[in-house]
Amino acid sequence: MTANKYSVLNTRVHNVDGYPKVTGRATYTFDVKLPGMLYGKILRSPHPHARIISIDTTEALKLPGVKAVVTGKDTLGVKQGIWRRYPELCDEQILTIEKVRYIGEPVAAVAAINEEIAEQALDLIDVRYEVLPFVDDPMEAIKKDAPMIHDGVERNVNVTRHIEWGDVEEAFEEADYVREDWFKLGGQAHMCMETRAAVASYTPDKKLTVYTSTQSPYYHQALLAGVLGLRESDIRVIAHYVGGGFGGKFELDAAQFCASVLSMKLSKPVKIVFTREEDFIATKRRTPMYYYVRTGVKKDGTFCAREARVFTNGGAYTGMGATALYLTGFFHSFPYKWKAYRYDGYRVYTNSLPSTSMRGFGAPQAMFCSEQQIDWIAADLGLDNIEIRRKNAHTAGYEVPGQATIGSCGLGQCLDRIEEWIKAKGTLPKNRAIGISAAGFMTGGIFNWFDSPYSFSSAVVTINVDGVVELHVGAQDIGQGSNTTLAMICAETLGVKLENIKVHSGDTDHCPADLGAWGSRQTLMAGNAVKMAAEDAKKQLLEFASAKFGYNIIYDLDIKDDWVHNVARPERGMNYVDLVKEALRGKDGQRIIGRGHYTPHRKGMISPAYSYMVQAVEAEIDVETGKLSIIGCTTAHDCGQPINTLGLIGQLEGAASMAAGYGYLENMPVEDGKVMNPNLVDYKIIRAPDMPECEIIEIDTFEPEGPYGAKEAGEGLTNPTAAALGNAIFHATGLQMKQAPIMPEMIVNAFREKEKGGGTP
Amino acid sequence: MEKQLLRFYVNDQEYELFINPKTLLVEALRDHLGFTGTKRGCDTASCGVCTVMVNGMAVKGCSVLAVQVNGMNVTTIEGLEKDGKLDPIQSAFLDEGAFQCGFCTSGMIMSARAFLNETPVPKDTMEIRRGIEGNLCRCTGYNSIVRAIDAVAKGKYRGVCDDSK
Amino acid sequence: MSVNCPVCGKLKKDPVDCARHMFGTGDKTHKAWFEAQGLSYIDLLLSQATEPGNRAYIEVGELIVKAQKG
Repeated sequence: MTANKYSVLNTRVHNVDGYPKVTGRATYTFDVKLPGMLYGKILRSPHPHARIISIDTTEALKLPGVKAVVTGKDTLGVKQGIWRRYPELCDEQILTIEKVRYIGEPVAAVAAINEEIAEQALDLIDVRYEVLPFVDDPMEAIKKDAPMIHDGVERNVNVTRHIEWGDVEEAFEEADYVREDWFKLGGQAHMCMETRAAVASYTPDKKLTVYTSTQSPYYHQALLAGVLGLRESDIRVIAHYVGGGFGGKFELDAAQFCASVLSMKLSKPVKIVFTREEDFIATKRRTPMYYYVRTGVKKDGTFCAREARVFTNGGAYTGMGATALYLTGFFHSFPYKWKAYRYDGYRVYTNSLPSTSMRGFGAPQAMFCSEQQIDWIAADLGLDNIEIRRKNAHTAGYEVPGQATIGSCGLGQCLDRIEEWIKAKGTLPKNRAIGISAAGFMTGGIFNWFDSPYSFSSAVVTINVDGVVELHVGAQDIGQGSNTTLAMICAETLGVKLENIKVHSGDTDHCPADLGAWGSRQTLMAGNAVKMAAEDAKKQLLEFASAKFGYNIIYDLDIKDDWVHNVARPERGMNYVDLVKEALRGKDGQRIIGRGHYTPHRKGMISPAYSYMVQAVEAEIDVETGKLSIIGCTTAHDCGQPINTLGLIGQLEGAASMAAGYGYLENMPVEDGKVMNPNLVDYKIIRAPDMPECEIIEIDTFEPEGPYGAKEAGEGLTNPTAAALGNAIFHATGLQMKQAPIMPEMIVNAFREKEKGGGTP
Repeated sequence: MEKQLLRFYVNDQEYELFINPKTLLVEALRDHLGFTGTKRGCDTASCGVCTVMVNGMAVKGCSVLAVQVNGMNVTTIEGLEKDGKLDPIQSAFLDEGAFQCGFCTSGMIMSARAFLNETPVPKDTMEIRRGIEGNLCRCTGYNSIVRAIDAVAKGKYRGVCDDSK
Repeated sequence: MSVNCPVCGKLKKDPVDCARHMFGTGDKTHKAWFEAQGLSYIDLLLSQATEPGNRAYIEVGELIVKAQKG
């Protein structure tokens, strides 16, 4: 590892929000209490598919303590969606008017003086339904005689995507070996520790303030304006602390919408917090998929052709499902060079909870199929599973035909380091093995499906007389530490100590628009904006320093560790704070303000940069019970220049816990449209005793697109774990597991099938 | 239902509440006394974000009625720091970055505090992991939390903060 | 046994491979052939993509064999 040339970057620093979080002072939406605040509850459909004949709220309104009851008829009835650029994909009326399309869909909302009374009022609302036939599997929903879920959408096919390059037929002809497999990928719940929550406060001057647990205050400001008929700028969204997001909290949800509608009716604050059960059944989840993959390779392991067909279970509405459909097909080619590739994806509506983005965005599903099949192909051909990957790996500058140009790429080094690590491990005990998976992931998306007129990220740096820097960003900290990361970039660029930086985020009244925390974009995009703003401020400051010192024109000035100095003679200089004082006076008392922004231009269709990794999972299988234990997890990781050291470790370990959950724990069965385990007893996530030690091997690369060469870390890291676990099972037992999550009974059944000689399911 | 009088201590301070006996301890703390550091995350006593100490024992605030702690001393996250001085566990959490979104953090720190009070010298890190088994964290993957607790157990914060609780 | 594609005449090494080729091109004329046989392209696609074993291709392969001239 090269010595750190930076003062602040890649050092272990306290999270800038640490004090409030470890002392219980941090106020989440969950904690917000406003004077005169009422409590809201939502009445939800018990049917997966039904027409609403009538809703009678008179009895509910009579209950003492109830202040208002609203249904879809009390709203503008806007069909909204986050893919604003494509109106046909804006298909969701929260508080639906004509039809319900999934169990748990909101049909009415109540505001009362306390939660208990609001809950009682729900029972008094009389909804008459005409129950319709429903369909909850995409395989059934696409059949000719299946019930039509959205008017005019034939065969319930919501979105289709196609990615192709090369001559696939010809490339398959050239292959010496062809293998095809079918996989089934489950959904997954985001399961944020803080459930969906909103406090909406509308005042008679037609202004709305919404406290909400969100990944993007700007998106919610714009989306609420669209559905409420308000001017965007008359809505203030506040999110000081957010209890997790993971991809589930940047679309409009019923907590925000219903609380706002109720508040607008009453001109009083209304708070709605989802129960854990509501969070499970009535929020959008990771997209379940059916995957067919056919791959052709030469006998030396060179990849020739791949074709994939995917059907995704879209649930009742589009959400971010269109992006997940595209990205799963795109990342299914990663991180390898294919002579020819074809992907056909179909997103199908069903009468179940809608599916959307969740950390990894379709890539964990894609890698589970691709990375396992590659190991199986290597085994079929007697090839080394690292060598086969090395042979076909992406390299810096590679052009994914018609799709993307790879910038920096440390994949080769990742493979080398994992190969060394595995060799050093030596032989393992029986029923224990190491499985690997490679992956590459985007660092921020380019496609402006939200149709925002604003820069993707913006930042403002304002320097006070005492040298403290007010850093205003629209980027949202949801736990990933963006406030700290951006403060570090600001401090490094300006040349000052980190404690000088005060970060302002999470408030649309005071912060610039930013697309928010999703798609692994903030370190690169907001980071670039912050760097630009800090450079602007530094340049202005140094103008005063240059004038003051009057050095020969050949000399440069810089600031480092609060010291403004001559670069050639660093002992000559002045204290940063003293310079700020003089600059302020020089500007007639005006503070120095630096501005920055970033929007990717001419960087292809997908992303300006890609992170890479190879992960090795050591797992042990109990052949009697099918239970798995993950013994260790080691990742060789290329995120360009690491910025927030503790943040990076946290992202790697956190991603591994979530991705491992997808691999073997977080089963989410939906039967007849009903989520069968909507609570934390039956929905299993990993707990401390089961979490393996995680080792990180950082690979040194420099990404020109990123601030100081940085790329994303934290979402790409959810891509490989389920696949690596599957490969560990394969190497330990010979079983080929084609369904995720891999439940113990599947392993037990697979063993039985193997004994019978029937092959693997 | 007839309200009941509850007299108890929270962070060594005496409080008196006249409440519905169905009130959960976590509700009494958050909604009646304003101690919002303690959170709620489920309805099945599964997640641990509501963990407080009752007479020094880690207890899920959602699994006991407030009236059940009559006369007892409840410690919440707000009560760990003393006159602005952090508990060693809080310092360790800061040093290790043992939190991300922070929503589980109050309960996690209380569990950790109770665990170390009972087991000041854990025999290995697996014992620490079992000590916080009742606390879910969706963000960190637990390892940084274990490192923080381990550092305190190994005496890294002795003399730096008051760790003689 | 090798067969010729009933639409474009391309020689394929066996009926299943030919079915795969017809599916894979997905163009209007190849799709039209499916419809002309009384098959639904979408239903076949769905079953091929989600059920292990290529039952759809095997069934189509049988029709391809029948369509061979001579």
